[in-house]
Amino acid sequence: MSLLSVQNLKMHFPVRGGVFYTTKATCKAVDGVSFELNPGETLGLVGESGCGKSTVARSIVRLLKPTAGSVVFNGNDISAQPQSALRTMRREMQMVFQDPAESLNPRHTIGQILEEPFIIQKMGTRAERGEWAAELLKRVGLPTEALHRYPFEFSGGQRQRIGIARALALKPKLIVCDEPVSALDVSVQAQVLNLLLELQRDFGLAYLFIAHDLSVVQHMSDRVAVMYLGKIVELAPATELYQNPRHAYTKALLDAIPIADPTKRRERQLLRGDVPSPINPPAGCAFGHRMKHPKWEQSVGMDLTLKEVAPGHFVQPCPCCT
Amino acid sequence: MAAPLLEVRDLRVGFQTDHGLLTAVDDVDFVLEAGKTLGLVGESGCGKSVTAMSLMRLLPQPAGQILAGQVLFEGRDLTKLPLEDMRKIRGNDIAMIFQEPMTALNPVHRVGRQIIEAIQLHEPTTPDKALRRAVELMEWVGIPAPDQRVNEYPHQLSGGMRQRVMIAMALSCHPKVLIADEPTTALDVTVQAQILELLKRLQRETGMAVILITHDLGVVAETCDDVAVMYAGRIAERGPVHDIFARPLHPYTQGLIRCLPKLDHPPKTDLPVIPGMVPSLRDMPSGCRFAARCPNPHSDDVLTTRQPWKDCGGGHGVEACACFASQLSAS
Repeated sequence: MSLLSVQNLKMHFPVRGGVFYTTKATCKAVDGVSFELNPGETLGLVGESGCGKSTVARSIVRLLKPTAGSVVFNGNDISAQPQSALRTMRREMQMVFQDPAESLNPRHTIGQILEEPFIIQKMGTRAERGEWAAELLKRVGLPTEALHRYPFEFSGGQRQRIGIARALALKPKLIVCDEPVSALDVSVQAQVLNLLLELQRDFGLAYLFIAHDLSVVQHMSDRVAVMYLGKIVELAPATELYQNPRHAYTKALLDAIPIADPTKRRERQLLRGDVPSPINPPAGCAFGHRMKHPKWEQSVGMDLTLKEVAPGHFVQPCPCCT
Repeated sequence: MAAPLLEVRDLRVGFQTDHGLLTAVDDVDFVLEAGKTLGLVGESGCGKSVTAMSLMRLLPQPAGQILAGQVLFEGRDLTKLPLEDMRKIRGNDIAMIFQEPMTALNPVHRVGRQIIEAIQLHEPTTPDKALRRAVELMEWVGIPAPDQRVNEYPHQLSGGMRQRVMIAMALSCHPKVLIADEPTTALDVTVQAQILELLKRLQRETGMAVILITHDLGVVAETCDDVAVMYAGRIAERGPVHDIFARPLHPYTQGLIRCLPKLDHPPKTDLPVIPGMVPSLRDMPSGCRFAARCPNPHSDDVLTTRQPWKDCGGGHGVEACACFASQLSAS
């Protein structure tokens, strides 16, 4: 059985304005996303800014309450549970954020930051918690002296290690990583990616790994889902997605990545335009609409649920992009 | 050989801080030929932006100072130029675009007015002519419906369009050198590809030289003719882009190229890493600054003695630390 099963997840935000602050429009940040995640597996979620990938992450860990759809974690539907019932769930599901400078309390020592999950869950004595915090630091490759220091005393890479240590504290089964390395330099990025891989091997963690950098996602993931304007347009095993992309948007995304090899310079098929706004998105296939594809009109009113085209390889079946 | 368009010689830049004078850029030299693109690559804090700022004499005052060295532009040393003359060079001869166009544009003025301001500062024309020129420039940099867009405010434009406006402003006076400081870092990959393609097209059309500052080796590989790899305020290695990628000599350049995740590598395998981190500006070793992270065995001497620069032919040079210098002469 899968560890996490997301079915038709929707997260709509009202756009308010005017004198009486009435709802003017709906921003469909996430509009019908479904996927499964198995224990010990990494699912990558990739897409450009504004495509809804972070909103997916936040609705799964219930920092946001989804508008519709179900999120079944460990056999329980957590999408509709009241806030009070979520505490036990959060032992098993943790999150690592993009900017460790903003997700660590600047007024707390590293020791306080790492002990807080245990205090919230009412675990251990004071002495035990201190020991556990020290162990966590060692696990992510930091010296135990760090316990008495403050976040500003650390570099970006070290802070991200602290963020990872905090997520590990309660021995979760799933960690949602929202752009964990995009704020880091490449040499430090490689260190943090290796740490995440090592922790996954040692603890059998499952990751939902979100990033805008397709090469990072491809490197970290067993399977990759490509999002565009609130929907998944393609989902496939990582190598398969790279070698055999089916959806026009995946192809465009792969084509746009600069390759660090000057012998492979090439003429590009440039995408025109920008990602349209999720407020009043176009009907049918949003990418076909952006490309002004002649067959786009056929996709309006069509059932755009992902179809399996090869074992484990799912694509949105619009006539314009596949 | 004719003198290069821009030559930086032994540039040293320092900042006066509470901890004393900190040297952010230390003995940097490079050459920019007319019509070429030079990539200045390195990780945050390596001094690449400070180098660019000092070329334009835009260092934050009074903390930032050019301590030594020369910036020769068409034979004139920009570091010695009176401020009045320097102002004429900025925009006219050397222009600059920045990472975040939203902070570089004025949010309360229409973009057209901002482009017109840039035009009128350098060539007095009538408002009508300046407006027409602004629309032309916007069309030139690929902004659709430019006669409507001139009347929009920066927040009404997408990130890619804003960067195009910045480029239009920078190129309004046909500069000979464009300094682009991380121009695509804040953009999505598909938009980044558009902007890089635009810069290449404009360069072909105007023959300007570009200094592209970036941390992304992929961007360097695709757009630059020459590369200078900076580490902790110094240039570790520089040369033609094909040479640097095919035959990186400095262990830092080698590590930087190796530690990138690549699409055609098997997923979930450990990446080669550069252990540790950049030394702090407050206790920079006087010798090889990479020694503490270097995978090669080395003696403590390399930390305290300045390592010599070695020319390897074809414009490819490297700070030849003793830990690998012997292999250089052998090959």
